[in-house]
Amino acid sequence: MEKYRSFHRKKLLVLATLYMIVIVGLCVRLGYVMIFEGEYYEEKAIELHERERSIKAARGKILDVNGEVLADNKTVCTISVIHSQLKDKEKVIQILHEELGIEKEILRKKVEKISAREKIASNVEKSIGDKIRNYDLDGVKVDEDFKRNYPYNTFASKVLGFTGGDNQGIIGLEVKYEAYLKGTNGMILTMTDAKGIELQEKGERRQEAVPGNNLRISIDKNIQMYAQQLAEKVRQKKNADRVEMIVMKPSNGEILAMVNVPEFNLNEPYTIDTDDVLYVAENEADQTQLLNKMWRNTCINDTYEPGSIFKVFTASAAFESHKVTFEDQFHCGGACVVEDRRIRCHKVGGHGSETFLDGLKNSCNPVFIQVGARLGVDDFYKYLNQFGLMKKTGIDLPGEAATIMHKEENVGAVELATMSFGQSFQVTPIQMATTVCTVINGGKRITPHFAVDVEDSNGKIIKEFCYSSKQVLSEDTSEKMRFGLEQVVENGGGNKGFIEGYRIGGKTATSQTLPRGSGKYISSFIGFAPADNPQVLAMVIIHKPEGMYYGGLIAAPVIKELFENILPYLGIEKTE
Amino acid sequence: MEERYENRGRSTLDKKKPKKKESYFDYSLLFITIFLLCFGVVMIYSASSYEAQDTFQDAYRYVKNQIMGIAVGVVISAVFLFCDYHVWSKFSFLIYIGSIIAILLVMTPLGIEANGARRWLNLGISSFQPAELAKLAVILILATVICAMGRMARTPKGVILLFFVGGLVSALILLVTRNLSSALIIAGITFCIIFVITKNYKLYVALVAVAGILGVVAVNIIRLSAGSGGGFRAARIIAWLNPEEYADTTAFQTLQALYAIGSGGFLGKGLGGSMQKLNFLPEAQNDMIFSIICEELGLFGAVAVLIMFILMIWRMMVIAGNAPDLFGALLVVGVMSQIAIQVILNVAVVTNSMPNTGISLPFISYGGTSVSFLIGEVALVLRVSSQIRLKEME
Repeated sequence: MEKYRSFHRKKLLVLATLYMIVIVGLCVRLGYVMIFEGEYYEEKAIELHERERSIKAARGKILDVNGEVLADNKTVCTISVIHSQLKDKEKVIQILHEELGIEKEILRKKVEKISAREKIASNVEKSIGDKIRNYDLDGVKVDEDFKRNYPYNTFASKVLGFTGGDNQGIIGLEVKYEAYLKGTNGMILTMTDAKGIELQEKGERRQEAVPGNNLRISIDKNIQMYAQQLAEKVRQKKNADRVEMIVMKPSNGEILAMVNVPEFNLNEPYTIDTDDVLYVAENEADQTQLLNKMWRNTCINDTYEPGSIFKVFTASAAFESHKVTFEDQFHCGGACVVEDRRIRCHKVGGHGSETFLDGLKNSCNPVFIQVGARLGVDDFYKYLNQFGLMKKTGIDLPGEAATIMHKEENVGAVELATMSFGQSFQVTPIQMATTVCTVINGGKRITPHFAVDVEDSNGKIIKEFCYSSKQVLSEDTSEKMRFGLEQVVENGGGNKGFIEGYRIGGKTATSQTLPRGSGKYISSFIGFAPADNPQVLAMVIIHKPEGMYYGGLIAAPVIKELFENILPYLGIEKTE
Repeated sequence: MEERYENRGRSTLDKKKPKKKESYFDYSLLFITIFLLCFGVVMIYSASSYEAQDTFQDAYRYVKNQIMGIAVGVVISAVFLFCDYHVWSKFSFLIYIGSIIAILLVMTPLGIEANGARRWLNLGISSFQPAELAKLAVILILATVICAMGRMARTPKGVILLFFVGGLVSALILLVTRNLSSALIIAGITFCIIFVITKNYKLYVALVAVAGILGVVAVNIIRLSAGSGGGFRAARIIAWLNPEEYADTTAFQTLQALYAIGSGGFLGKGLGGSMQKLNFLPEAQNDMIFSIICEELGLFGAVAVLIMFILMIWRMMVIAGNAPDLFGALLVVGVMSQIAIQVILNVAVVTNSMPNTGISLPFISYGGTSVSFLIGEVALVLRVSSQIRLKEME
């Protein structure tokens, strides 16, 4: 009993109670960590456990005005191997060799390389990808991806543009409307262990990709196709460097076709046709420069000397400021002396005595030099500005070039004279076409454009594009010009553009390329129909044709052929 | 206390047959122990199978070893259960010396080095951790010496002697095997046993206070010197204070444990659902198993486990309080203290409530030697309980 008493029950109780209290205290601490700090640690843990793989979003389609698909997406596969999961390497090499046609040596290197994930091939056709997947090889991954697909290859290549490796727009409308076309990539979040091995049984979290919106543009597939064919035909026939064509609606600036031949294949934008006359000379040049040249939309990115088509401006400005009437009499002696310069008319003997209307029909330079002189530098520039010629057109394609014009204070009589008939300065083809639209549509300066509206992937329109227009010219002047230009086609220099039964207006131009005396020309024609109420305007520019080079002879027939087909197509009936 | 009345009540029933002893056996303790062991095996499988499959191509490797340890423990416990516990007072000095030799043997070629620490002995068929034997040895020797000293045990001289007996083993473990955790546990057991046999509180409160102040001062010194030099223990203290800053190095394990605990929430991810055990958390089946319990079974599961330990401590307290003699009572106090200290330190480490030091969770953590001896110690307690004399109080 004595021994027993030296043991203190009370202290035992204190000790055990202390233990229990401390353990209960730890329970509280545990609760704090698990519940209050838990969210923080859990987030950190998920960050640690999850690996993300992105799901590429489908890019929006580009549709023509009738809903024809001009650019869509193709499902392609990316084949890769995961070294740690490979079992039968020889079999993998054999099958991939058979299916993909890749050298066994190259495959062996990739298969045997110790890496988390080794890419074997990308942009593999879906059918081949599916076939490889069906072999069910351990360690071989087939991931689906989207690749931009252009069903008509070279169709409006420089307008539509193409996309890069991440499906982002590189040139053309693809880059201009990137924000609408681009989708939002999704994510697959998978759980992995500490070594990064994915755990199938833990499942995955998916954030679905949101496809991009579809862009509807004003291009009409049939008109573009036909225009492209015509341009290519004349290019080959005349062995020209390049041919540009623009077909648009004068009333609102919608572009129905924009052709730059040679076009390139949008599905293979990095392949240069080095046999083409345009690139053969610079075969040695830097690849990037050649590519940029090939991708260049010269209707917009480059300027040219418009030549006689610009007489439309001079005439309109003169009418607008009441400096001239169609009945005014002029004289052409085959040349005109301005200060110390003698400027010749294209007709060597001269047109003799003629009215202003005859001067327009004949595209007589001395007449326009005199009209320009009547306008004077101040008015000439006033109307240049008023017409919007000094500014860019604002077309919805990147890289529009600005007009290259003399500084007003440097313009003397000689400069004014040459400018009056469209020489010594440069504008873009789209600027010239837009200016003519303004003159014939009742004097409204319109914004040339492609984009019509944007619809989401369910076909609901989410944005309609609006473009500015501004009255810059009187309806009266416009009416006079329509009449005058119709006369040009009916019995003037543009008579090769005449189609029986249609009222067509137009103007030809032939300009020498710089430097002068090279014997190279730019031939062009701009036409519109019906002349009294223009529904469609078309312009063709042939760069450096061989042989016959007069715009009236080689360019006008192209537009004639185009109009013969597209006017009925557009529902424009023949009169009488 | 309650138990005493209960016993008295029961003993009145035995009035008629005073000759035939009522045999008492603490089945609650037995059940709790079996439950914890089985639960431990399940949790070891859950925590280790992925890593074991990955490393040894055998998902059951750790489970098999643990079951071996349990089997050895059952053999040891058979010995403890069948012999009157008083015999151990005769062997205690021998066991004490044996454990000291075993600790010293670690320095010989028999020792096994693992994870940069030399703590194990190679016994041919399996490895053996002398520290686990030392814990039992200290409990036995202290009980024996206290009983032998009688009243002298309460004198300052006696207390100093007792501290020396326990402290010697503790110091050896710290110095020879560089195992701070086991040294702390043995020191703790010694402290608690001495606390129970003496009358006053002041000394112990003062000791705890001094230890506490020293601890705070030490932590602050280390913090201010920003762990320059000071070895891995200082680094662990710094890491304990700012685990996020040392996420890739010293605090890696602690932080991974916190991620596991934090992901558990109230109900956990379900048994087998832990992500952290997938090679993220080192020693998931061992010292850190509690964090896997938290992750898979949630706060409720973790608290349930801790309640099992509280019940175990309560049962041992009752047994100690009713033990037939001082020797038996002291044995039980020692075992109880060991289990309580290990549980407290383990959970404190896992929740980053104290600097990281490797302490296993009794009965649940993987570790053959540890589980064998723990089963043996519980058997000793059960034997003490079975020798409780259910006699009427005078």
